Amino acid sequence: MANIMIRKGADGYVFYMPKRDIEDQITSLEFDTPEKWGGEIKLKNGGIYFIEPQTAPERLPYSVRAKRIDGVE
Amino acid sequence: MQTLDDIKPSYPLFRMDEYKGTIGRKREKFEEVHDKQKVADTFAWTTTKEYQDLNFKREALTINPAKACQPLGSALCGLGFHKTMVYIHGSQGCVAYFRTYFNRHFKEPIAFIADSMTEDAAVFGGQKNIHEGLANASKLYGAEMIAVSTTCIAEVIGDDLNAFINNAKKEGYIAQEFPVPFAHTPSFVGSHVTGWDNMEEGILRYFTLNAMEGKEPGKNGKINIVPGFETYLGNYRVVKRMLKEMDVSFTMLSDPEEVLDTPADGEFRMYAGGTTMDEVKDAPNAITTFLMQPMGLDKTKKFVENTWNHEVPKLNIPMGVDWTDEWLMKISEVTGKPIPASLTTERGRLMDMITDSHAWLHGKKMAVFGDPDFTLGMVKFLMELGVEPTHVVCHNGSKRWQKQMDKLLASSPYGANGKSYPGADLWHLRSLCFTDKPDFMIGNSYGKFIQRDTFHKGKEFEVPLIRIGFPIFDRHHLHRMTTLGYEGAMYILTTLTNAVLERLDEDTKFLGVTDYNFDLVR
Amino acid sequence: MSKLTREEAQALIQEVLEVYPEKAKKDRAKHLMVNDTSLESSKKCITSNRKSLPGVMTMRGCAYAGSKGVVWGPIKDMISISHGPIGCGQYSRAGRRAYYVGTTGVDTFGDMCFTSDFQEKDIVFGGDKKLTKLMAEIEMLFPLNKGISVQSECPIGLIGDDIEAVSKKVAAEISKPVVPVRCEGFRGVSQSLGHHIANDSVRDWILSNRDGQAFEKTPYDVAILGDYNIGGDAWASRILLEEMGLRVVAQWSGDGTLAEMENTPNVKLNLLHCYRSMNYIARHMEEKYGIPWMEYNFFGPTKIAESLRAIAAHFDDKIKEGAERVIEKYTPIMNAVIAKYKPRLQGKKVMLYIGGLRPRHTIGAYEDLGMEVIGAGYEFAHNDDYDRTIKEMKDATLIYDDATGHELDEFVKALKPDLVGSGIKEKYVYHKMGVPFRQMHSWDYSGPYHGYDGFAIFARDMDMTVNNPCWNMLKAPWLKQDAAALQQAA
Repeated sequence: MANIMIRKGADGYVFYMPKRDIEDQITSLEFDTPEKWGGEIKLKNGGIYFIEPQTAPERLPYSVRAKRIDGVE
Repeated sequence: MQTLDDIKPSYPLFRMDEYKGTIGRKREKFEEVHDKQKVADTFAWTTTKEYQDLNFKREALTINPAKACQPLGSALCGLGFHKTMVYIHGSQGCVAYFRTYFNRHFKEPIAFIADSMTEDAAVFGGQKNIHEGLANASKLYGAEMIAVSTTCIAEVIGDDLNAFINNAKKEGYIAQEFPVPFAHTPSFVGSHVTGWDNMEEGILRYFTLNAMEGKEPGKNGKINIVPGFETYLGNYRVVKRMLKEMDVSFTMLSDPEEVLDTPADGEFRMYAGGTTMDEVKDAPNAITTFLMQPMGLDKTKKFVENTWNHEVPKLNIPMGVDWTDEWLMKISEVTGKPIPASLTTERGRLMDMITDSHAWLHGKKMAVFGDPDFTLGMVKFLMELGVEPTHVVCHNGSKRWQKQMDKLLASSPYGANGKSYPGADLWHLRSLCFTDKPDFMIGNSYGKFIQRDTFHKGKEFEVPLIRIGFPIFDRHHLHRMTTLGYEGAMYILTTLTNAVLERLDEDTKFLGVTDYNFDLVR
Repeated sequence: MSKLTREEAQALIQEVLEVYPEKAKKDRAKHLMVNDTSLESSKKCITSNRKSLPGVMTMRGCAYAGSKGVVWGPIKDMISISHGPIGCGQYSRAGRRAYYVGTTGVDTFGDMCFTSDFQEKDIVFGGDKKLTKLMAEIEMLFPLNKGISVQSECPIGLIGDDIEAVSKKVAAEISKPVVPVRCEGFRGVSQSLGHHIANDSVRDWILSNRDGQAFEKTPYDVAILGDYNIGGDAWASRILLEEMGLRVVAQWSGDGTLAEMENTPNVKLNLLHCYRSMNYIARHMEEKYGIPWMEYNFFGPTKIAESLRAIAAHFDDKIKEGAERVIEKYTPIMNAVIAKYKPRLQGKKVMLYIGGLRPRHTIGAYEDLGMEVIGAGYEFAHNDDYDRTIKEMKDATLIYDDATGHELDEFVKALKPDLVGSGIKEKYVYHKMGVPFRQMHSWDYSGPYHGYDGFAIFARDMDMTVNNPCWNMLKAPWLKQDAAALQQAA
């Protein structure tokens, strides 16, 4: 588990993990509705992370704990 | 805006109206500065006796120090040995600082390495770092000796250098026979001067402690010279020259003269000159060992006396006339070699210079700050010139230093108004320069901030800095000069006299006002 | 010789690695790469922000240097205590050229050194009491200080001192911010973690101090982040932002003050020059206060114009026009500077090895002068820095991370650049070798180099060093003759 920050970029969500200096485009977010938001996150670099599904944050950027499932570190 | 034929760096660029505007607006609108009058009043208060009393009551806070930490000294000591890599066991940041500090002073490349202890090493101890570090260092840099000392992280967690280095050899990280002398140099004890002493003792011990068989004082007919934390390259040179002229063979035990002065000819030399291992091994056979800076070489002295059985002569740093005389006479006494005419003539030339210049120096008041032996030697010479030393600040000075300094000041009428301040820093000296103004102060580059502060009070309060000491960052090439022996006295005399004359020109250069005393001939 | 093919560059790296013992060789190989501009990410090609190898000559500093030396030190109206033994504070005193104006010792404290000068007893019994007393002495002797920060040196974290408790207690007593900073030198692998820790301590102890308080905002408020005013850089940048109609509320941290930091949450846009050392606080302000941030580059007219326009794009037409006006105003003098210096510098090759942003940010300025950067590297970068660098550098150039003295020397010998830009630890090596050299941390006691005014100085300085007559006089003429004779004989 590590802290990540999700921001809104020009082409959708951007993933940022300060600890590993990973900043990348999010290609898919499993749940993306106001009531249910989060789940599996896929990155452009192939990385896959998971955040506990929750109600969508009121605004971005938003810091949240994420678990690494697969892909580059 | 810049103009092409007059491209201005920060000064005078930022004195242009547009920048005065932007910097001024920033101050006024966003910095929430204190009221101008309040700042002026507070400044004025910091120049008073009342403030000085508060300032001298400080017990916990150090402001603007005039000393550095042990491993800076151990590094300089190690640098003076032939093909020796200085290796610091501890955090890498320290080593970056030591290198930078010497780079800035000597304007020379400085090759030291660290074994980069980080958080895990702080928890588990630094043995792994020493093992890997020695393995890399011994293969990479063509060194024939690695001189290890420590930073405070290794000392706080209690790393045992002796055991770690022995294990490194046992486990094959470095060849068994590769010389790795070491010294513990905790930065929370003593100063850079102590660190130099510790490393010197460590190196002498490493090569001689268990190799004393068949060695006896006088066997090789030489004398040993221990320079101590010495940053004037000319001082290494002048000692060698004087001894050569006396036909005395000698061993300089740490000699960075060449490595700190390599030529720019297309080739970078990581090593040059330096004391060889064979010379160190042979050093116990010398007639005796001369300590150039006896105040800061306790550990070396003890080792030389107890292990080498040398009778270390009781001498002072050979600065100024008397103490150089005594030094030469002692050398002559222990070696049986007479002092040659060339040195007598040199002394005569120095005396001639003093007779020429004394009138500009007599009665001038000068504050001095710096290392223990430096301040002693400087005060001694100042009094020989008729200069009155006033505030003598030695941040790394001990009670013993104070006792010696007080005795020295009492030995001459010119020392009557002098006072010693062991453990005082440059913020203390700042107060003293306001409440009891000397005409000049002698010390390293950090003194320039005191000069600026005193000038801020008014030109008549300004105490100009004469740069003699270490470090000197803001003037070029002064580290190549000489401060010891008659030659060194000539340099100091020239520097002091011309500082006085330049100041007089500055004070009298007002056309139509001070046309008198702005003399062509002086 | 200086233009290598990809294969030649690869071979050079292999050759340079040859001297290392096996384990070190394997490690160092990961930190050296030949640039490939088609790469999206540097991750697979270069490793960064890892521990330096013990016993290998790294140029890096420590977390304390990153916090006290870089981020906190320049905040001029607060007092930074170097808490621990004497050395760190002394070595980091007044050497960085982070310029400011003020009455030093009275209302500003930038060039001074305040330290607790730890002795053995402080290590054994702890330094908290001394720290408490020391702060009282600061208050007594420097009543106009706006606050205090405690910059921890190595021992603090090892002896179990509670500087946080001391800071809280004293802050309550003196009603000023007192900030404990855990920047012990053993933390992390370089200066970089010190920047991060310093950012976090500003976030936790300073940034929200004025939340909810009134502040007269304008729609044009910005803050400069990550400009340390080396040689006056931030002033030469600020003047341009003001000229285009923006209001610069804060400078972080060159010539910076506590008030400016505390007021920053009110700005419309954060302008980030040194990404490496201050992206953390920018991201935090984006999340907490909704303040967008952008990176910009004020080295050289090309990048400056690009940046001015990109900054203006966040504002209305008034500012956009302002940006154009500024660009137009300075274009003639910039053209004149380039016309004068480009012919003298055209085609010259440069190798850089520096710190946070300069290895990539100065490339444009060199290119404006017709010079080409053929190698670049960082002491303490992370992968996001290399991602950005790959795009700025040409194909088959060298990129090196945490380079050692040996690697730099060998690269320079092989590539024979006309100029090396690096730090003082490297400077004199290249002087001996006869390679023109500029210190690019301190601007070699010159500067500013930021902004239009700074570029003129940059151009002047590069010319004076590259074209100084001394470089051709290093060899004694009789040795030159000997060498020529030898060659002829052979």
